Amino acid sequence: MSIVLTDLTKRFGRNLVVNKASLEVTDGHLFVLLGGSGSGKSTILRMIAGLIQPDGGTILLNGQDVTLLPPQARGIGFVFQNYSIFRHMTAAENIEFGLRIRKTPTARRRERSEELLDLVGLAGLGRRFPDQLSGGQQQRVALARALAYQPAVLLLDEPFGALDVKIRAQLRKTLKDIQRRLMVTTILVTHDQEEAFELADQIGVIERGSLIEVGKTEELYHRPRTEFVADFIGGSNVLTGRVRDNQVKVGSTVLPLPRGIASHDEERPVRLLFRPETVLLQSEPFSADSGVIALGQGQVIERVFAGSQQRIRLEVEGLQEIPSRVPQSDYGWRTTQIEAVRPSEAEPLVQFTPEQKFWIGLRHYHILETVGLKMLICSEDSSAGEAVANFGCYLAQAAGGSATMVSVVDSSQALVNARERLERLREQWLGQLPHLEIRVRQGAAGGEILLEVQEGHYELVILGRQKSSKEARPAAFGSTVRPLLEQVGVPVLMVQEPRSSLGRVLICSAVGEPGKADVRIGGRLASLTGGLATVLHVRSSQETSEQRRRAEQHLRQALSTLESMGVKSQSKIGEEPAIDHILSEAEEGDYDLIVIGAPAPRPPRRLRWHDLANQIVSGTHRPVLVVPLVD
Amino acid sequence: MKTRRRRTSRKTTGLLPISFLLLVLLPLLLMPLGAIYIFAARGGLGHFIRTFSQSDAQFALRFSLLIAFATSLVNGVLGTFAAYVLAKYRFPGREALSVVVNLPVAIPTVVVGTSLLLLWGPLGLLGQFLDPMGVQPMFAPFGVFLAHLFVTFPYMLGAVKPVLDELEATYEEAAYTIGASRWQAFRFVILPTLRGGLFSGTLLTFAHSLGEFGATVMVSGNLRLRTQTAPLYIFAQFEAGNIETANAVAAVLATLSFALFFVLLRFTQRRSQRVA
Repeated sequence: MSIVLTDLTKRFGRNLVVNKASLEVTDGHLFVLLGGSGSGKSTILRMIAGLIQPDGGTILLNGQDVTLLPPQARGIGFVFQNYSIFRHMTAAENIEFGLRIRKTPTARRRERSEELLDLVGLAGLGRRFPDQLSGGQQQRVALARALAYQPAVLLLDEPFGALDVKIRAQLRKTLKDIQRRLMVTTILVTHDQEEAFELADQIGVIERGSLIEVGKTEELYHRPRTEFVADFIGGSNVLTGRVRDNQVKVGSTVLPLPRGIASHDEERPVRLLFRPETVLLQSEPFSADSGVIALGQGQVIERVFAGSQQRIRLEVEGLQEIPSRVPQSDYGWRTTQIEAVRPSEAEPLVQFTPEQKFWIGLRHYHILETVGLKMLICSEDSSAGEAVANFGCYLAQAAGGSATMVSVVDSSQALVNARERLERLREQWLGQLPHLEIRVRQGAAGGEILLEVQEGHYELVILGRQKSSKEARPAAFGSTVRPLLEQVGVPVLMVQEPRSSLGRVLICSAVGEPGKADVRIGGRLASLTGGLATVLHVRSSQETSEQRRRAEQHLRQALSTLESMGVKSQSKIGEEPAIDHILSEAEEGDYDLIVIGAPAPRPPRRLRWHDLANQIVSGTHRPVLVVPLVD
Repeated sequence: MKTRRRRTSRKTTGLLPISFLLLVLLPLLLMPLGAIYIFAARGGLGHFIRTFSQSDAQFALRFSLLIAFATSLVNGVLGTFAAYVLAKYRFPGREALSVVVNLPVAIPTVVVGTSLLLLWGPLGLLGQFLDPMGVQPMFAPFGVFLAHLFVTFPYMLGAVKPVLDELEATYEEAAYTIGASRWQAFRFVILPTLRGGLFSGTLLTFAHSLGEFGATVMVSGNLRLRTQTAPLYIFAQFEAGNIETANAVAAVLATLSFALFFVLLRFTQRRSQRVA
């Protein structure tokens, strides 16, 4: 193996940029690291090159541990997005620079640069200066320069990002040819999936610093393991179904469970993936012997012409109450949406105009690895902490997700006790939660929990809260909760008195922008636990007619969205003052959970609504779910 | 080529604004400059020869050139270093430091002279300890040198730093990944891109040092044959009523400055042409 990364980690300040990335690249392969901007892909590449020092983990190049070596000693070739070829040197001088440093004789240098110029398709242009070359040609020079001294490993950081489409395609081909010919082990970083598929032998998908999945290109496209990769690569439809009698039930449709998929627990939710280009559309129902699985009848919502293909979005009545994960149904839609792709035709036989009805069929589908909500349960060493932990485990079990229990202690003596306590809790829940993980960390509670959440990519954090005494300051969001909401953007469930069930959820909306995220996460929890959701809107006393219209529309949309998630729901309207109304409604309705938007990062005094989150958390003993602001 | 074509294609209307500009500039800039040469020429060639056969005139010019040369050399290196550090590294107080290094442009040169006296003079903050040891930086050639370093410091920085700022961070990193050491990267990759900035920065420093008056008059003590620079000599002669002598040296100084300036102009023009 030319390149082996083990648990590579990098932090910038409090931000975890690369999170224990481990990777092996087969000799002579071209490996593509694919990820969005800020996913940490370039940081990994720069650490391999030695331009950034990792905070943890090791880098092996050709069996040698280079983790602590400077870039000069690593024997790598690096190509930058902005070319970075030396302006005062000709193309040939640029290519020869590495050899000049290595004191190669002039004649040999000439020979090598001629050879490389030829290889990258720039024969005869060696005497030109960079400003006499086009962007594509400059990048070719950069590639030749990186290859001149025969590096063991070639690293390319979005090498074609600054070029236009045509030239990009040419350069891709050149790179692929050269890489095949020289068999140099290569890592290329890009955000462009088309580029990744065209070039890669293997692709690694990276998100928020973690390598989510690594695989051969086609495998990754057709049979991804995770929902994230299914969604990130290509267009996709992901529906949620339930396993029953070795079959998958999606609405009224029953599909056989594909072979090779581990038998799932009965009644467990599963995610079903099918690509838009595999969706069949026809105007008559599918016959039983066609081998096509009919999903039902759908109505075209929109058709988008996109050059070589047309994208058709349909809504499907028959799949009501089936949460479609991807594409996420537009907010306020009751029905499930499905995307299909058809090749464009100059004289189409079938027109896909809105409101037209089609039967939707499937030939292939793929079951994704099921993960429910990934939760972190923070358990303190107290009877209250125990109750919180139990409530968290109950939630995790109901949500069908994975959970990690963490306890933060301040001294090393307390480590053992805490571990024992968590072990006991794990024993108790072993039956219902076989995958419950436990972790004990030492340090300041706020910082350690923040780190744990960043490293583990949790979707929900459950925190216990001490019963507030009268003297306690009203601000409920301390140094633990605020960074979780603002820095990581993860919903925080604050539990003071655990409930025995999660049957009734109160989603609060009031003056100001109503939170769509609140509705979605509240609905998700309610759907997982089969509860009833109530959307409460508190009206301002001086509400204008325009504001009223908007609020009513929001309530309608919220109910539709909840319905599309399969949640029984109702709406209520209350009068100001918001805080009193919400609290009294919570008591009257005996709700098990209150969902509320997070306060603004630095709340201006006049925005009373945003301060509401704090007031509600301190004003009730019921569990409160605080949902971060999403932009 | 390109610039020439552009120039000819530009329309030659606008006669009025052009002539108005010339009319304003004539008494403001052109006539005073002309006056130097006219007065200098009045005494005839003989007067020039007589002036420059005097040892203090010779010394003043020589001393000025020497100081200017030394100043450009030291500030050339120091300014480049400062620009490199300020452009490359991010550290607390960087903003403040870049203000401080540019400060000499804003401070009146006479004030610079005063502050140097207050530091290095016989009664100054540091000078009071040096004085008993017989070390006196002020009222000596070294004091003049110090003043010129102070006054001209920002010019090199101003010429080099923009080039470095524009240079992508990956430029140096590219050199590292290829195998160049820090020094090799600086010597073969960074320094050559700075050529233009170094040249114009040095020239500017030299020209300013050659004409420096305010700070020099304070710290030099205006000692004949010891610390008297050409501008000081001109001033002294003028005050003594030897207008022709003053004018002769002034004409030489002006000619030197013109020459430097034209070299600089030609150079920057050539560079901008190449970029286009």
